[in-house]
Amino acid sequence: MTLFGASPTSASTGQLVLAAALAAVGIMLLLPRPRGRSVAAGIAALIAAAAVAGAWIHQAFGEPAVDAIGKFLFIFFSTGAIAFGIVLVVQRNPARGAIAFAFVILSTCGLFLLLAAPFLMAATIIIYAGAIVVTFLFVLMLSAAGGPSDENDRSREPLLGSLAGFAFVGLILFSLSQAYAAATPSPSSAESNDWRRMAPLPTPLITPQEQHDLRRAAEELQKLDDDTFYSKSLTQQERTSTILRIEESLEEPLGLNSAKYETIPRYGSIHRRLAAYRKDRPADDVLRQVEHIRNQCVRTLARFDDAATLNKAEPQLVREESRRLRESLVLLANAGELPARNTANLGLVLYSEHLLSIELAGTLLLVATIGAIAIAHRKAVPR
Amino acid sequence: MIGLWHYLAVAAILFGIGLVGFLTRRNLITMFLCAEMMLQGVAINFLAFARYHGNLEGQVFVLFILAVAACEAGIALALIVVLYRKGKSLDVSVWQNLREVGVPPTIDIEPLPPAPPEAEDPHLAPAGIEPHRREEGAAHA
Repeated sequence: MTLFGASPTSASTGQLVLAAALAAVGIMLLLPRPRGRSVAAGIAALIAAAAVAGAWIHQAFGEPAVDAIGKFLFIFFSTGAIAFGIVLVVQRNPARGAIAFAFVILSTCGLFLLLAAPFLMAATIIIYAGAIVVTFLFVLMLSAAGGPSDENDRSREPLLGSLAGFAFVGLILFSLSQAYAAATPSPSSAESNDWRRMAPLPTPLITPQEQHDLRRAAEELQKLDDDTFYSKSLTQQERTSTILRIEESLEEPLGLNSAKYETIPRYGSIHRRLAAYRKDRPADDVLRQVEHIRNQCVRTLARFDDAATLNKAEPQLVREESRRLRESLVLLANAGELPARNTANLGLVLYSEHLLSIELAGTLLLVATIGAIAIAHRKAVPR
Repeated sequence: MIGLWHYLAVAAILFGIGLVGFLTRRNLITMFLCAEMMLQGVAINFLAFARYHGNLEGQVFVLFILAVAACEAGIALALIVVLYRKGKSLDVSVWQNLREVGVPPTIDIEPLPPAPPEAEDPHLAPAGIEPHRREEGAAHA
């Protein structure tokens, strides 16, 4: 990715610059000063900045609208985090600032939950809630009650500080959008397929569409487990149509028909996508899984055909094979997901791969405790 | 579906707001809280990538961030206590004689606004019926 000159985005870049400038001006107006602080104008500028930035993010990163609740929660929590963060920065009273910080933590914990990290959500709330309470006590102990003071009613270089901060934010957002644009082909180019527009680089192991197809095939396979499937109550046609549905679901992601009938393999969308854009170990694992499932499918489906049409195969054997195939399909469908049972798996990773780091972190905590005591210890003054 | 990029954008904004607060505020405790907010932005980044790649390494990183943040809180509050004891103020500008050589000192020119007048104690409005007062002599009878 080349940062400058990657894509012709002059109009949207102007929008981004406008948002950053508005936000800088708003924060500057809101920062505590003896004179010239204007709360109303500052809030107006910040709201305008939020609107422009929201429009820019919407336009730059797109909005594949599938999941309305997830979208609402994301907007809710991220708006909360940013709004309370601004309150923390511009609030004169440090005690109120500490409360605003608590709300920032709660909002980011909501985002953690959306990112499938429930253990970290709980840990962050516990640790930071404790830390916030302690900080709050410090504020109450140390701040002189009442009356304006140098530290609360003055700011260092409000204009330069907020300009620097928001120039930094604007640059990061700009480079993010450039990376996004570099990873996503324009709709007019011949390369553009649906999965590529829906799932920009780094491309996921399994896209939602493929996941859906695989899961549907696994559901159909479940029917083969049932006793009624082999009884006389189902006609031969119904059995064949079930098997056809399985084959149809697997055709797009795995390229099943080519595995059955052609000598030169023509792979499905998972293989094409991963072979073209991913070189890492998980992608290799998925490719191997795909290869294995293709072979398994060809074998198993032939047996199903026998079972469905000739009534000669023994149901026990078919059932065994269908169960195995279903398990592999479900495993493949969930290849790109975080494991369920977050806490257990996090513990496993911590104690198997990161044991040394844990010990180092523990040592660091010990050293910090000793250091804090040593620093804050009041030395006896010799007389 | 909210993608990786949206989370990265929110994390960048949160980090930037914390940066502005750290640069401009003068209260030591507020500066400390702003630094913690920047750490939260970084944690969102890690978790978003962990979710995207489907492995737990990012979450492990955030766990270590939590541990380091706890250390940081302990040390920072100890330092704030010592500085407050010596300078009798939470203002960082009290320590500006530690600045780099050749940098002009910050002098606050504008006077602080006058303290708001202290609120008077509330007066209770008389309510109810005044009890009947008996005559002085009758009370002792």
